[in-house]
Amino acid sequence: MAEISQDGGGKKGGKKRSKKASTKIDMTPMVDLGFLLITFFMLTTTLAKPVVMQLNMPDKTEKEEKSEVKMSETLTVIPDAEKVYYYQGLPTDAATQLLKTDYSNKGIRTILFDMKKRIGDNFTIVIKAAKGAKYKNMVDLLDECAITGNKRYAILEIDPATEGLIKKSGL
Amino acid sequence: MPKVKAKRQSVSLDMTAMCDVAFLLLTFFMLTAKFKPEEAVTITPPSSISEKPLPTKDGILTVSVGPDGAIFLGTDDATAKSAMLERMANRMGIAITPQMQKNYNASELVGYPAGAMRQVLGMTPSDVKAKGLMKGIPCDSANNELFLWVSYAKIANPALKVAIKGDANSNYKVFNQVVGTLQEQNINTFQLITSPEGKPQ
Repeated sequence: MAEISQDGGGKKGGKKRSKKASTKIDMTPMVDLGFLLITFFMLTTTLAKPVVMQLNMPDKTEKEEKSEVKMSETLTVIPDAEKVYYYQGLPTDAATQLLKTDYSNKGIRTILFDMKKRIGDNFTIVIKAAKGAKYKNMVDLLDECAITGNKRYAILEIDPATEGLIKKSGL
Repeated sequence: MPKVKAKRQSVSLDMTAMCDVAFLLLTFFMLTAKFKPEEAVTITPPSSISEKPLPTKDGILTVSVGPDGAIFLGTDDATAKSAMLERMANRMGIAITPQMQKNYNASELVGYPAGAMRQVLGMTPSDVKAKGLMKGIPCDSANNELFLWVSYAKIANPALKVAIKGDANSNYKVFNQVVGTLQEQNINTFQLITSPEGKPQ
């Protein structure tokens, strides 16, 4: 396909020469491969763009108008390095029960799903990261909120009462 | 007169030139894909199901948190970047030489205490990295330089959006500190940079 006929059709000499092997090679597959690789590199370089997760925090400078949430519609979730604690109610209340789960599909996600189903749109998640939590744990938890379709969540700092509750439960 | 025969055109064409172009482009893409600007630290962001791309329209101010909790700052806005240096140098009483300016422009990130600024800007970014001088910007209540850097960048370009690129294994405490510092400047919306991950059913 790619070769160009070189003999101009002249038959001047009349002498028959030994046929020379053509030095031209068919470059089509090579070009094909070249463009395939170009396409590959072009696509992979543009697809590596990072994605973002938007996080909105409340305005600190304004006099906060506190939005009321019912205790029964709130779940406090405490992410730690390998596990997640959660409880309902006040940490100072003796009747408050602290439970432990993990980050797997069957862990915190099912709990959030169940609560959401039971309570409805008013379900609020309070996130108080423990001292040992990694940034990844926080993002994972925010991700779980997005997966379970919970738009109402608040990020708070951990308080001594909650820490005491974890210590007391021994989980 | 002899008849002029219409010359037959050959249907096959020479592909050498096309091949050349193809491989030239291939080489170009391979090399550019490799030679990404050197990062001061390697940060592996956590993954999330978010599919939103990073909004780059008004410029981005990126606060990076390394695995050991060191804080770095970078921006893609050239005006904000030079304004940051100018104001910080002013504050520290450092006269910026053309050489220092060049080194500053060559580095992607700011990540050193302001006290070490003269020393860091005196050498090339790769030397700085080799000597381990990218220690991070101090961000505690006693000496909050991150606050200054961010406010200088915000003065130059108030529309700057703040992105936080934290390493998956960095401590949450540092993230909390960064968010707290930025909230003091009434920055309440953050773009957390994550790597994409499949959405569960």
